[in-house]
Amino acid sequence: MKVERQIRNDHLARIEGKAGVVVEIGDEVRAKITVTEGPRFFEMITRNKHYEDAAAICPRICSFCSIPHKLTPLEAIEKALEIEVTEQTKQLRNMLYFGNMVESHALHLYLFAIPDYLGFPDAFSMAKEYPDLMKNGMELKNFGAMVQSILGGREIHPENAVVGGFGKLPSQQDMENIKKAAEKVKEAAIATVDFFAEYEYPSYVNIPRNHLAIKPYEGYGVYGEEIVASDGFSFHISGYKEHIKEEVVPYSFAKRGKYKDSPFMVGALSRLVLNKELMNGTAKELVNNYERFLRPENSFANNFSQAIEIVYFTEKIMEMAENIKIKEEKRVMPEKHDGKGYAVTEAPRGLLIYEVDIQNDIVKYMNVITPTAMFIPMMELDAKKMAEGMWNDGYKDIDLVGKKVEMVIRAYDPCISCSVHVIKL
Amino acid sequence: MKLKIGVHGLTSCYGCQLRMASIKELLEAVKRFDIEYWYMASSKGEIKHVDVAFVEGSVSTAEDEKELKKIRENADILVAVGSCAIHGGVQGMLFGEEYKEIFEEIYGKHEMDFEGRIGEPIKNYVDVDYFLPGCPPEEEEVVYYLACFALGSYPEEKDYPVCSECRRNGYPCIIIEKGEMCLGPLTVAGCNARCPGHNVACIGCRGPLPYNIAWFDSLAKTFKEKGFSKEDVRKRMEIFGKQYKKMDEMIEKVFEDEGGKTDQE
Repeated sequence: MKVERQIRNDHLARIEGKAGVVVEIGDEVRAKITVTEGPRFFEMITRNKHYEDAAAICPRICSFCSIPHKLTPLEAIEKALEIEVTEQTKQLRNMLYFGNMVESHALHLYLFAIPDYLGFPDAFSMAKEYPDLMKNGMELKNFGAMVQSILGGREIHPENAVVGGFGKLPSQQDMENIKKAAEKVKEAAIATVDFFAEYEYPSYVNIPRNHLAIKPYEGYGVYGEEIVASDGFSFHISGYKEHIKEEVVPYSFAKRGKYKDSPFMVGALSRLVLNKELMNGTAKELVNNYERFLRPENSFANNFSQAIEIVYFTEKIMEMAENIKIKEEKRVMPEKHDGKGYAVTEAPRGLLIYEVDIQNDIVKYMNVITPTAMFIPMMELDAKKMAEGMWNDGYKDIDLVGKKVEMVIRAYDPCISCSVHVIKL
Repeated sequence: MKLKIGVHGLTSCYGCQLRMASIKELLEAVKRFDIEYWYMASSKGEIKHVDVAFVEGSVSTAEDEKELKKIRENADILVAVGSCAIHGGVQGMLFGEEYKEIFEEIYGKHEMDFEGRIGEPIKNYVDVDYFLPGCPPEEEEVVYYLACFALGSYPEEKDYPVCSECRRNGYPCIIIEKGEMCLGPLTVAGCNARCPGHNVACIGCRGPLPYNIAWFDSLAKTFKEKGFSKEDVRKRMEIFGKQYKKMDEMIEKVFEDEGGKTDQE
């Protein structure tokens, strides 16, 4: 193909990690998401480690989702060793996970995405003209961070969440503080939804797509073991390798996922598309009020969906913190020393899969599939459609087209460090 | 005049940058500096002259090396931030292995457009002026370093271990009370002994003490006396300490009198 024009950005700003995009325009339009973040081989460095140490290494895959990268391997390890954690541990882990959802979504929307919508290079310059908006974002982020600090020990790399429970339990006063903090940020959460419910989505990226999400154990939760697809198919996590295939391309240190040989989407939008009926409270009302923004075929709806989830998870944390009565209890220690376990949870960016094989307390095999690795092919297709649509419509300003391409990529909230943790075929 | 700063990420989890981006007084802090470059947070800017450059991440690709050298050329002061930049990070654990073999084991036989490497600390490639340890650093440490530079002063690195913070807080000793391999005695302080305070053994995430005073041998000896094998000890110590000079040697020395035991590995 003769390339007439090229859009090339080797280092996309305002995403987590190092990736670029190349769009070539000629007789046809081609797009490539290049991932240049170096490989870190997590499956290798967790191998032959005690399961406790392996679980402590995993969060280092990614700081934005270090909570999911701790709680998901813990679940896989506990399944492998047949540990049944207490009801209280389950509750507190949920709360911890929800705290990460709020922080991660708030960081992405306010620090990375909203500057695009308002035409700023970054949130710092945006804050000068929109101080109240930015204040909302910081409050939400700080709230999520607070929940993670109390329950996880710190907001990045939560060492307090361990196999069988927690190192140290929070106090009843901690719960009271979390509840109060949640009440305080509820308005900021709702304002986030209102912000996104003012923007129409570019129709160039209207592409029918498959969405994958878990069928939660309870409510609109993040834990489950069954994965459902919007085409009606569903499968148990133990069969993930059959249904989610991965490929390697020379321009990416991230492997790329396919479902039924096609690109697919995971994340906040996919969760809402598949599970919105399981929501309740204010978030449910907002989804109903703004239903036209929940568009399964358009990835820009992902930002709106993240905003809805901020409301939902904030309210859930508030509810849980109000109802829980903390009681002293010990970690549950395993009686078994060998076994295989699978776990899947809903990380902020979508399905996160862990598989582990433990022999004599030592991890012999670990495999991880991250949401970003799953959705990169879909993101690439959207980037192509965006450029193609604009070009064919007569937009010949490469800078403008490039900016819009970046915006559609950012809508996915890609997490490049995650995607390059590297998976064994 | 405001201090010009740049924030850069090589190969890492981006946690140090996230830590910097999520200090509570961020919006206040950014008023005091001109941020010339921060790709994670801003789409403006290219690498150009700054007073202080903060670099997180290990050198894990040829591109990382190129970028790092460019950052160094353009920075009066260069600060290595976090365990990856200072010690190579958890990915640095593969130090000494053949990159190609590991790559093929994981990706299969594929040609890539880029050259990957086993992660190394940035000091192996450029001169580093200051080290800001942590995985990630604590909020007050980030603020302290920023404040020092803003005031025209310089930050002082801690030269005492997590263990001393733990003692000061009066936490029960994890090694003595629970018999677990806590790395507090050789890990650089600054976290206020968070993990021991949560009843969890320190795995050394902040990295070994600076100034060549991380005594892996004496701690290995203590663990040996508690009944741990060389493999047990090495596997934990290498998570954040693999590229510390003489770590392997120090552990070997402690266990050398029982050559027979290594056969069990």
